[in-house]
Amino acid sequence: MIKHKKRSGIQKRYLKYTIALLGLALLLSSLGVVLSVKRRLTQAVVDQYEFTTEKMGLALENLCRKSDEATAECILYEDVQKSLQSQGLEEVNHIALSKYFAYIGLEYVADYCYADNKGNVYSRSYSNVTYEDIEKSGFREYLGLEYAKTQWFWTKDTLFGTGRDALFIGRYVRSMDYAHEPGMLFFKMDKALFEEIADQGREKNLKAAVGILDERGQFCFFSSPDETFAEAVSRGTAPRDPSFSQRDFQEEEIHQEITEKIAGTEGAGLFLAGEPVKGGVLSAWREADSGLVVFSFVPARVLNQELIPVFFVLGGIYLLVIGAAVILSIYFSKRFTKPIQEIKEAMTEFDGTNFERTIELHTNTELDEIGRSYNEMVSNIKQLLQEIKDQERELRTAELNMLISQINPHFLYNTLDTIYMLARINREETTMRMIQALSRYLRLSLSKGSEIVTVEDELENVKSYMEIQQIRNVDLFSYEIDCQVDASRTRVLKLILQPLVENAVKYGFQDIFEGGQIRISVREEDQVLYLTVYNNGTPIEAEMEKKINEMNGMAVSRLKTCFPDKKHGYGVVNIITRLRLKYGDQAGLFFKAEEEGTSCTIRIPGGERAEDDEE
Amino acid sequence: MTKNKQNAGKGRNGAGIGSMAALLFLSAAMLTGCAGNPEYTEADSGEVSIPVILIVDSSTGIRNEEELINTFNETYEGTWQADVEWIMETEEEYRQNLKRQNVTDTLPAVITDLRMLPAFYDMMIQDERIEDLTPLIYGDEEWKAMIEPSVLESCSEEDGKIYLGPISTAAFSCSGIFWNEELFAQAGIWRFPETWEEFWDCCEKLKSHGVTPLALHTEGTAWAPMLLATAEAASTAEGEEFMKQLYPETYQNETGVRIAETLKRLFSYTTEDALYSDFDVSYENFFSGKAAMIPNGYWMMDQIPEGWQEKTRFAPFPENRLISSPETFGWAIVSSYSHEVKEGAAALFKLRTRLDMEKREALFAREGEALIPAERDYIQAYKNNPKLVPNYQVKWNSILQEETLAEALPELIAGKISPEEFTEMEDESIRRFLEEQ
Repeated sequence: MIKHKKRSGIQKRYLKYTIALLGLALLLSSLGVVLSVKRRLTQAVVDQYEFTTEKMGLALENLCRKSDEATAECILYEDVQKSLQSQGLEEVNHIALSKYFAYIGLEYVADYCYADNKGNVYSRSYSNVTYEDIEKSGFREYLGLEYAKTQWFWTKDTLFGTGRDALFIGRYVRSMDYAHEPGMLFFKMDKALFEEIADQGREKNLKAAVGILDERGQFCFFSSPDETFAEAVSRGTAPRDPSFSQRDFQEEEIHQEITEKIAGTEGAGLFLAGEPVKGGVLSAWREADSGLVVFSFVPARVLNQELIPVFFVLGGIYLLVIGAAVILSIYFSKRFTKPIQEIKEAMTEFDGTNFERTIELHTNTELDEIGRSYNEMVSNIKQLLQEIKDQERELRTAELNMLISQINPHFLYNTLDTIYMLARINREETTMRMIQALSRYLRLSLSKGSEIVTVEDELENVKSYMEIQQIRNVDLFSYEIDCQVDASRTRVLKLILQPLVENAVKYGFQDIFEGGQIRISVREEDQVLYLTVYNNGTPIEAEMEKKINEMNGMAVSRLKTCFPDKKHGYGVVNIITRLRLKYGDQAGLFFKAEEEGTSCTIRIPGGERAEDDEE
Repeated sequence: MTKNKQNAGKGRNGAGIGSMAALLFLSAAMLTGCAGNPEYTEADSGEVSIPVILIVDSSTGIRNEEELINTFNETYEGTWQADVEWIMETEEEYRQNLKRQNVTDTLPAVITDLRMLPAFYDMMIQDERIEDLTPLIYGDEEWKAMIEPSVLESCSEEDGKIYLGPISTAAFSCSGIFWNEELFAQAGIWRFPETWEEFWDCCEKLKSHGVTPLALHTEGTAWAPMLLATAEAASTAEGEEFMKQLYPETYQNETGVRIAETLKRLFSYTTEDALYSDFDVSYENFFSGKAAMIPNGYWMMDQIPEGWQEKTRFAPFPENRLISSPETFGWAIVSSYSHEVKEGAAALFKLRTRLDMEKREALFAREGEALIPAERDYIQAYKNNPKLVPNYQVKWNSILQEETLAEALPELIAGKISPEEFTEMEDESIRRFLEEQ
């Protein structure tokens, strides 16, 4: 027997399909999970920075509101109003007013100046700003056509002479009572103002770049985790400085992206919430009055960094799932394919000689049934084989006997003729009759090899037999024959009546010595031919009657086992076997104990014409 | 301006329209406060928000123009919404806040009481801070038909332009004297004096019976005493002409001195707390029975407390004079707002004009029991061909009204300065005013 090391086909396919299905499921679920997780995580990060941006925005709004209130306070200040009136201020009040602006409670003021409508300038004591400086600075243009609204603008400091970019707050100062020319008030704000706003966004050590733009989109402030770049941007040298790396240059592109994105927008408050831009996500908040914009820019790499650990965990989980799935698949497939393999091996290895190998399965599935059926099939094959062997053996014996019997009849007939002649010479009548009867009997039994004979021949045969018996048992019985069919044309199996008559004489008349009667009748009803042998002797025992009648329902192969001692029942078994083999299961032999005697009936389906075709 | 205190009025029959006019007046006169810079935004629904600041009467809790605002918001729901900030302040505070809001560019779209600040009003025109309503009014026949010619004329500038909304009727802009019938009866006086001589006699008689004749004050442009003094000055031909002058060139003349003398004399018949107090103190004194007379306009009808309506009477100033300047309500639209907002504000003005017209017609149609005695007196006085004297508040310079009177009047009353010196101080205000102009 070959040991199959390789996996069975079913298991292979099972594993293949399982893994394919699992792979598909994992692929789809991983796609879903990855997309969902990415979206949620990205949203969470974006929300976080939105919140940060909003906080910075509120801080900016607060500072703008304070500066608006502070400048309003300046405008309403009595001396400021007086400075706008015709008389103007006295010198002492001029000095006091110059100092006043330093104490208005506005934080982050780097410098200031106020010009009334008569060309007087009020500034720090050490400042030498003149009215001409103010006019030359061009700052009046930033106040625009607004009547008295506060203006915030980012520009080069051409007023106080530093020449550096700075945030300025400016406002027209108008008289409360009269239509005078307005004065102008300017505050230069310190960079620390932006730092305080940005601190709202940097307090959690966030990794986003934060910044502030003025109304015209100029960068007032920029703070990036990459400090070098941030400083460069603040200096306005980022794109031109050759010392910057490629990455810096990319960030400069992002810088432009932010500027362009914000430039085309309107509205106050958080007007860009997690807006995807090239290289990251942008959130921006605009202060309504000043037009200043604070923004946070989260580079894509920061977003991805948040995702990497999640993807690692997901990957690990998927690997575990795949491993467990493969192991479990192999285990469960084995549980199912092992019995199949066992059945397969038993079947393929069955060589027709070894009937001892059976299949023992306890899987609680249909496979157990298959195993049992296999075992039963093997058992049946074994039995059939044995029957075939027996039949072959019997066939050989029969053939031998037939050969022998074909030689003897000639000798037997010659001998019987000689005896008949001797008896005739000696005037032995009884002997002559007996020899004649025996000759007729043997002619039918031994000659004519055909199994099928006419009813006429069959009756002739049984009559000869009965005459012989009558000579042997003088006065024991008489007989009569009632044939209601065309005896010369109706055919039946030969030698089916003689055993029945033999039984009648042997068993029916075993208790009498005279007065016995045998009646043989042949009739046809409903296309069925009935041949009955009745004797008025001792009735057949009920047990024997039942046993014989039940033999009609048994398998032909089992008939021989009904009388294992082989001393009895040979004739009955022979008749039933031959009837069944010849006419099928509808043919049969039935005994019936009568009130006086026993009747035995042969049933042959097809009736008179049963063997016409064969003829 | 007249208006000091107008709210009040608890609902008496028909209070609706009547109170509106009064409230309007009040609001025009007093807005002060303001405080803060209210942020005005358009509603999300597309409805245009019209920012307005109105005052709430501190003594009655009544909101000025509440009926007008409610009617407007119901009528124009979905299009315009008057977004009113109600502030509990005096009219004087409201007016000062107008100035503050202007220089800080935080004015609401609709402002009132502007005419009470002559210099400020001029500045607002020069700086183009208020909207020229001329094309709106002349382009809307329906609106124009509702406006009384005298009101339209009084609201028009010399160049014909109209900046102040002609939202009132002249019938509701007249001032006279409210008097306490019970206190008069205590002194045996059964009718209001018809001449100035009788008036002074009346004061003497009241005083002799232990009744303080007048409820006066010195702050807030000295509204109550100035009504009496200018009405008295107009009793002469010279004085009548003087009161018609816009920005008189001098007060050092017969009329000026006469007004100063009258003022000094009036304060001899008033309560002790009159000095350095505003109109609200006078109002309390009159409606607590501490004084028998208080000058004020029609708008005070709605502010007569419960229990005082039967004994409060109204009379023209002696010699059948009423002081009237319909433009004193001073409603204007601030130019810096968007076209949509200004259009809504104009609709509010038009509605106000219609409601006032309806109110006048309803008032004049009522008779007998439907009117309180003061209303009956007012209608009778208005129909009795009174001589109308212009309101000094729309004629005289701001410095005089807002600074000089409050400063010089107590000194005049205390005898620290003579009437002539008082007029010198008035002329000083003219000089300063011209200088600033």
